[in-house]
Amino acid sequence: MHVPRAPGFAQMLKDGAKHYSGLDEAVYRNIDACKELAKTTRSAFGPLGQNKMVINHLEKLFVTNDAATILRELDVQHPAAKMVVMASHQQEQEVGDGTNFVLVFAGALLEHAEMLLRMGLSVTEVTEGYEIACKKALDILPDLVCGEQKNLRDKEGVTKVIKTAVMSKQYGNEDFLAKLIAEACISVLSKKVTFNVDNVRVSKILGAGVHVSSVIQGMVFKRQVEGEITKADKCKIAVYSCPLDVLQTETKGTVKITSAEELMQFSKGEETQMEEQIKGIADSGCTVVVAGGKVGELAQHYCNKYKLMVIRLMSKWDLRRLCRSIEATPLPRVTPPTADEAGFCDHVYVDEIGETPVIVFKQDKEESAISTIVIRGATDNIIDDIERAVDDGVNTFKALTKDSRLVPGAGATEVELAKQLTTYAESTPGLEQYAIEKFAESLEAIPRALAENAGAKATEVLSKLKAAHQEGKKTFGIHLEDPSIGGLDAVKNDLLDLYINKYWALKYATAAACTVLKVDQIIMAKPAGGPKAKENRDWDED
Amino acid sequence: MTTQMEGDQCAPGADFERPSAISKWTEDQEPVFSDKLWAVPVMESRCHGWPVCTQESVASNNGFAPWPGSPQGFLPGPNLDLKQPQIILLKEGTDSSQGVPQVVSNINACQAIADAVRTTLGPRGMDKLIVDDKGKAVISNDGATILKTLDIVHPAAKTLVDIAKSQDAEVGDGTTSVVLLAGEFLKQAKPFVEENVHPQIIIRAFRRAVNMLVQKIQEISVKISKDDKNEQKELLQKCAATTLSSKLVAHQKDFFSKMVVDAVGLLDDLLPLNMIGVKKVTGGALEDSKLVAGVAFKKTFSYAGFEMQPKKYTSPKIALLNIELELKAEKENAEIRVDSVQEYQSIVDAEWKILYDKLEKIHQSGAKVVLSKLPIGDVATQYFADRDMFCAGRVPEEDLRRTMKACGGSIQTTTQSLTDDVLGKCQLFEETQIGGDRYNFFNGCPQAKTCTIILRGGAEQFIEETERSLHDAIMIVRRAMKNDAVVAGGGAIEMELSKYLRDFSRTIAGKEQLMIGAMAKALEVIPRQLCDNAGFDATYILNKLRQKHSEAGLWYGVNIMNEDIADNFEDCVWEPAIVKINALTAAVEATCLILSVDETIKNPKSGGEAPGGGGMGRGRGRPM
Repeated sequence: MHVPRAPGFAQMLKDGAKHYSGLDEAVYRNIDACKELAKTTRSAFGPLGQNKMVINHLEKLFVTNDAATILRELDVQHPAAKMVVMASHQQEQEVGDGTNFVLVFAGALLEHAEMLLRMGLSVTEVTEGYEIACKKALDILPDLVCGEQKNLRDKEGVTKVIKTAVMSKQYGNEDFLAKLIAEACISVLSKKVTFNVDNVRVSKILGAGVHVSSVIQGMVFKRQVEGEITKADKCKIAVYSCPLDVLQTETKGTVKITSAEELMQFSKGEETQMEEQIKGIADSGCTVVVAGGKVGELAQHYCNKYKLMVIRLMSKWDLRRLCRSIEATPLPRVTPPTADEAGFCDHVYVDEIGETPVIVFKQDKEESAISTIVIRGATDNIIDDIERAVDDGVNTFKALTKDSRLVPGAGATEVELAKQLTTYAESTPGLEQYAIEKFAESLEAIPRALAENAGAKATEVLSKLKAAHQEGKKTFGIHLEDPSIGGLDAVKNDLLDLYINKYWALKYATAAACTVLKVDQIIMAKPAGGPKAKENRDWDED
Repeated sequence: MTTQMEGDQCAPGADFERPSAISKWTEDQEPVFSDKLWAVPVMESRCHGWPVCTQESVASNNGFAPWPGSPQGFLPGPNLDLKQPQIILLKEGTDSSQGVPQVVSNINACQAIADAVRTTLGPRGMDKLIVDDKGKAVISNDGATILKTLDIVHPAAKTLVDIAKSQDAEVGDGTTSVVLLAGEFLKQAKPFVEENVHPQIIIRAFRRAVNMLVQKIQEISVKISKDDKNEQKELLQKCAATTLSSKLVAHQKDFFSKMVVDAVGLLDDLLPLNMIGVKKVTGGALEDSKLVAGVAFKKTFSYAGFEMQPKKYTSPKIALLNIELELKAEKENAEIRVDSVQEYQSIVDAEWKILYDKLEKIHQSGAKVVLSKLPIGDVATQYFADRDMFCAGRVPEEDLRRTMKACGGSIQTTTQSLTDDVLGKCQLFEETQIGGDRYNFFNGCPQAKTCTIILRGGAEQFIEETERSLHDAIMIVRRAMKNDAVVAGGGAIEMELSKYLRDFSRTIAGKEQLMIGAMAKALEVIPRQLCDNAGFDATYILNKLRQKHSEAGLWYGVNIMNEDIADNFEDCVWEPAIVKINALTAAVEATCLILSVDETIKNPKSGGEAPGGGGMGRGRGRPM
């Protein structure tokens, strides 16, 4: 039976589609959703932020205060909220840290935008004002730079910068971890190529405590060796990307035997061939063989005979990294390596860390292509969280290689920006003035969140900070251990943030907020039925 | 239309979420342990454990349009009205809970876990009998084993299971202590959390305290020199005995501690655990257990002709093979084309010849005992029997590897080069009867970097628990060999640390004073529980201990034998310092982790059956 539809937009759409428009139906709701999201991550902001327990759809438990991880596992569905999430993803990819800053700031911007809209400003006026303010803020930012870390090999200086990034993840362990990260990063910093985050590996081993973690120049694999030899020093290494076995034909074929002689000679021939191959490797001076595939029993037998240490790596990525670390060329066939193709490593040995057997490739020299941070911890969750902190630290170092300018941390930069923007707003004609003012106010959400998470009265702390900044103390930030005393000099206390971190965070947050605001209609098609296409999330992601 | 939706939204939206969530929390406030272990809310029965989206909360959610309400709460409603696609912040079925009640609820869950293992602590601790879902009974008083078997689903409580496992991995013993300590730390922190002290302040204080404690332990622990072998051996035996005294085999602790120390002493420098084989044979008494300085394994499946083989050799050569000694295809996909009957016959002969060639080579090598990972067929068995040789096929790989370690030689995949240096040697090979089984023994091995413990005992569960106890003791001995510092057990070290912290806490100003004081109190849980489990008056004994420790009675702890206190260092209740250090670090790390969580967000489980697959039905969180 034909059911007449309501007139209007819905008429044009298929059954089940939905459309919302106008301030009430679309804009405010979008703002609400983003605010809600920001509220969740807000309490995780800063060193005193609380952790979240997130259980994802595979029932894996995450305990973290890393905004990027929380968002990734949350599966945010709201389209507007997704935009903010995307902004934070961009930040993650660009800088690798400061994801929560983007969320909290974008949330604050939207919250204030709602006020302006209710006041009667139009959406365009608000977004324009925000964009002007953002531009101005980015103009001011270079003036706030308080130092530069030019010498990237200066361990102490680098540690200081990394410390601030690690602090917000692992408060209490920051000194120890920052030192580890700095050590690992500096050792892989080469003069020829740019710093690659992938060169600092992390190996997570359950047991003991965080403070037993260490850095190894080289690589660590959680595996056992295949053969009987478990130790080699100053060794040449042959790396094969293929299985170390009798080669199988790809084409389907059968071995044709015509006489009894042939039958008897067959396996003997196979054995001799194998022995020759392995002997060839041994003759080339290699004492360690790394295979990318299965190690056949016969091959294993001859490796034992010629005292070759055999290691099998499952992952192609691991194999590639190992090659980089020991400067070897992976061979696609089992042939003896030439002098160029063989890699070299000072120590290769099997060790037991906690209960986990590991294979360690260790180089003696100070600088190596790859370094590994072995993280220890009492539970998997703790180790995972430390890994994320290490990740942030390494990314900070990477950002440092791009732009070594530093700005004061602990909310000092934000308060100063807010102060200067407010002055600027007053000199701006037109309705944008309101929006710029609100932008400045939104910036204060950062020190506010820091203070709230520290358990202090945010308004009180903020007013003290503002007063200090009015007096010209540009680097004054929140004193986290005792917020009530009114602040501390961030620079003197080594609380330093990266300039580019702030730069991109401001940019992305403003862009996301403006995009959300500019939407005035939501049209949703009826979701199609049926399962979604298969996603392979478990593949090695680098 | 808009107005109607707005009306729908506010009232029920606000209505449903808060009260049901709060009622969940109150329900969780006192997780009671009933007599059935699995009835505890934190375990298994996920629907009434912790504030997840339970059936009733979903039910109460039915019937109102979820779209307008959803941005307010995190919870989206079920998609009932299919004509109205909704915009939701998170996926359907996602549940979240947050705030101080969340922290408190997590703490409560952890305490329930600590209570589960509480009574197993110490020499007077009781064992637990756990029946798993397959009906298999496990008797144990090892904290890690109990918690592993319990299958805990509460995310916060899982942390405690993790630290027990980690302690097991790192030192092997002290698993109950670590859970108990974490539980007590949390218990002491709970009042502060309820009074709205910021959890990060508590965490900072705890972290600071634990660093001090670790230093203190290192300071006061007693180093034993490794130079004197006898002295070291004695020390190790004492450490092993302390561990064993809290286990099922406490009565035979002298017997077993000696055995364990001897066993570990046989290993090489790396002290690989898998080189100590433990074989369980039911029957006989515990004292019939023995240590073989060599290898022993159960007789493998054998073919006809086996009975004719001799079962005892003095100084035989041993061939270790990875060859199937049977008639078999040389190459799997080989094809033979024959034209005549003669030719066919010659092929058949050739196959036999190949086998006989192999056997011949083995015989010529002079080996008397032939062990193979792969089957040894009846032809080969008969062949060896005729030539006064012994053979065993399908030997488990780890046994073969240990035989190789003990007797030397190497495992051969071909018979081409059976020279003397690839053959193993031992002084005595023997097949003997133990209980109902026959065992192959290799004694007097030249390299003997391996050993085998044969456990005897009545019930199967009993032997299994003995094995776990021995594992703990072996781990402790290994640790003690690597780190030579020991402290006194029986609550002595905890009392001393408690006193140290309490004294320290009085010297600092600020909130940390309270937290560190609380931690000092929490440390007393170990001696207290020791007393409780032994049926002593804990308050009385603890008072005596406190008094003694304030008078510099460094190593005074609970004396289990006499319901009194004693200098446990003199009484030789020793534990490696590393056990205590690791237990404290792990417990504090777990405590900090749990305290630092203020929000739990649970995504609905993805549809597909395959665990970890992640592919099937992702994003199809269907409303219940």
